Amino acid sequence: MKGKFKQFLGSIGHYFSDFGAAVVHGDWSVKLSLVFMGAGYIRRRKYLYGVFLLAIEVFFILLAATFIAPNLAKFGTLGTVKAEMHFDDVLFTNVWNDFDNSFKILLYSIISLVAILIFALIWISSIKGAYSLQKMDEQGEKPPTIRDDISSAMNEKYYKTLLAVPVGGIVLFTIIPLIVMICIAFTSYDEQHMPPAALFTWVGWANFKQLFTTSLTSTFGYSFGKILRWTLVWAVLATFTNYFGGIMLAMLINNKRTRWKKMWRTCFIIAMAVPQFVTLLLVRNFFADQGIVNTICSNIGLTSLLKKIGLVPAYLNYIPFLTNPNWAKFMIIMINIWVGVPYLLLIATGILMNIPQDLYEAATIDGANSFQQFRKITMPYMLFVTGPYLINSVVQNINNFNVIYLLTNNVFETSDQLLANSHARETDLLVTWLFRLTNEYYNYKMASVIGIMVFVVCTVITLVAFNFVIRGNKEEGMQL
Amino acid sequence: MKKISAILVVLCIALTCAFAQGGKEAPAAAATAAPKETIKLTVWVGDLYTEVTEKIIEKFKAAYPDETFEITVGIESESTCKDTVLTDPEAAADVYTFADDQLLALVNAAAIQPATVDADKVKTENGEGAVNAAIVDGQLYAYPMSASNGYFMYYDKSFFTEDDVKSLNTMAVKAAKAGKKVGMQFGADGGWYLYSFFKGAGLDMKINDDGMTNSCEWASKGGEAVAKGILDLVATGGFYADSTSNLVSAAKDGTVVALVDGTWDANPIMEAYKDNYACCKLPTFSVSGKDVQMASFAGYKLIGVNPFSKNVGWAMRFASFMTSEESQVARFESNGDGPANIKAAASASVASNPAIAALATQSQFATVQRVGGNYWTPAATLGTILSQGNPEKTALSDLLSTAVAGITAPVV
Repeated sequence: MKGKFKQFLGSIGHYFSDFGAAVVHGDWSVKLSLVFMGAGYIRRRKYLYGVFLLAIEVFFILLAATFIAPNLAKFGTLGTVKAEMHFDDVLFTNVWNDFDNSFKILLYSIISLVAILIFALIWISSIKGAYSLQKMDEQGEKPPTIRDDISSAMNEKYYKTLLAVPVGGIVLFTIIPLIVMICIAFTSYDEQHMPPAALFTWVGWANFKQLFTTSLTSTFGYSFGKILRWTLVWAVLATFTNYFGGIMLAMLINNKRTRWKKMWRTCFIIAMAVPQFVTLLLVRNFFADQGIVNTICSNIGLTSLLKKIGLVPAYLNYIPFLTNPNWAKFMIIMINIWVGVPYLLLIATGILMNIPQDLYEAATIDGANSFQQFRKITMPYMLFVTGPYLINSVVQNINNFNVIYLLTNNVFETSDQLLANSHARETDLLVTWLFRLTNEYYNYKMASVIGIMVFVVCTVITLVAFNFVIRGNKEEGMQL
Repeated sequence: MKKISAILVVLCIALTCAFAQGGKEAPAAAATAAPKETIKLTVWVGDLYTEVTEKIIEKFKAAYPDETFEITVGIESESTCKDTVLTDPEAAADVYTFADDQLLALVNAAAIQPATVDADKVKTENGEGAVNAAIVDGQLYAYPMSASNGYFMYYDKSFFTEDDVKSLNTMAVKAAKAGKKVGMQFGADGGWYLYSFFKGAGLDMKINDDGMTNSCEWASKGGEAVAKGILDLVATGGFYADSTSNLVSAAKDGTVVALVDGTWDANPIMEAYKDNYACCKLPTFSVSGKDVQMASFAGYKLIGVNPFSKNVGWAMRFASFMTSEESQVARFESNGDGPANIKAAASASVASNPAIAALATQSQFATVQRVGGNYWTPAATLGTILSQGNPEKTALSDLLSTAVAGITAPVV
């Protein structure tokens, strides 16, 4: 781990020292390339490259003048001119002033910064390239022609050609939006500051401070703690109930004495054919306070039984499946098992079938009972194969929006007034809370802060868990 | 290295091409209204209104034969219109329909055009309540489309007499005796309905002049009495809170014999109660032994014009046409919407509609909805706790003061 990090730093150091060497030891044409990109290439008669690089430089300068500079100039304030308009009777439409749109300024500034970075990389590599041409020239080597370069890009360096599109896609569709979102956490972007009509600006760490403060009117700190705890409990419970449920079911079906295996398997897999949200919305109606399940429960006397035990409050004449916080949490996990187990059943069946039967036979001969076999053979094998999957699904469950939102939206209302004052509910995960803040209250800044927190939580869990799973020589231990 | 640079160049070009256009996007300035240019408009209506809107569009085209129009109808529920418009006002439809409670948010975000075309005509031809619902700070912002978006009481007249429905306490007791229920959505998602109890007792809750935060008088002695009144109603066992959709299906089962709801559910309720279908204004309820008339939010559907539209003028003209007397009658006939237009509302067919008549009686106790966003969650939680009979036995004063703290919290 440490070695890799050092290596990484070293390669960055090399990158710049190579550049320094090129500038110092380069001839006049290489030095001229610092100002006129491509000069070194033209000097070595690589006219096409030279002209191309020069064209990039011209293009970049034009871009800098028309796009990068105007946007970056406003980056510090995120705009100062408020939108104003009046209706023009002659044109019969609105005339707007040349107003600032804080969000666009933010977005375009980030794009500009990325463009500058990309240009800087091109600039550095063009100078290095010119220097390496000079060295080849000095040593009397023949520099590669364009045809050579193309054929190398198509052959030994084909991986780079292939990677170009995904890398570009990641920069455009992942990195830039991500940086913008992170930036929003440090701005005042909310209902009162919504572009295009209003401007927002930088506020530093104020939003993070707010996430950890609690007063009667601003209860973010209280809500965040409570929701984070439930999110983690949910992620662990949802993952492991499904996991063991799936394994148990698969083993049950795989058991030698089970008949009509295919039929059972089909039964469970049919459940997957119905889109998850349809199932969830239907189940939500089944378990409504006056829904069909409650009718059945009160008819068979279950409601009054639960009332006697104290599991249902005495003032209710129904089971608050989805309206009482504890019941709702329990039901959400149960329903999640129901919709999630078939997937695990599939995975587990595949893996169970792959466990070499001779292991079991040997164990049987040694006198191991079936529980011992399960503990010593089946589970280690399963855990080894599905370890990364488990970590992945914990992280996925932290962000499991569908189940929570579809089951509780418009049904569950919190009776915790402090939670209500920051628009949260007991059953909310961080993501559903985030969704409500943006979708119903336009509190983008707080949502962004919570988003960063979700990221931190997921990263920590992933890193710790992966280290734990991959640590040691487990792989060799599993060489069967 | 050269290969990398080549790749980076391509990337750089792709990047700038994709965004350079956006960068130059200045506000649409002098787009001269050349006479025979096609006027393109998009209009968003609720999914049940597409057919009638298409018909109105044809009439609109016929009314201006000299112009060529290209009017597209999109579906966007009136109840969630604001959310979609505010996500990106510049990409929203030119003309959109919405419930009047969203007007303030739209005005605050400058996502709605001051209605200047036909403003006087709109103000004189429509009912006072509807016009007021479309006005913010003295400026008319929208064109009133219908006046039937508030709530009132539906009941089964074979169960309740006309005398019974005067008092909610009487109704709840009678229903409880027969094992039936009276329902109202003042629990989950029910801030809109909960208001009627407190406002009825004279305790106001409304938005401040800043157009964001609320002021609320509920955390007072009077407020405790109202909360106690609601708890008494719940304690009868004949009055309960549930979502209107559940209440409607319970009405079909026969368990719910009266419910508070709006005209949008008139048809299913008519099916449930059949010949015994009846409507009335909201009843009174008992606060410290006195009968208090329940108030309500008046609800209107309005048509707004997007200020970022390329054809704002024509969009306003079209919005005005969509709310003309003729168009409002057409919408009453197709969808049962109560017209905001005075003449249309006075017509015999409208006046004889029981739901709209009940709404008209309730309108004297109704206020235009001007509420800041922080009202809804704390109010729904307060309603939920009350609908469960305050199980934790929290002191009512604490309950109300926490709720009011949330309702009046600064927008941060």
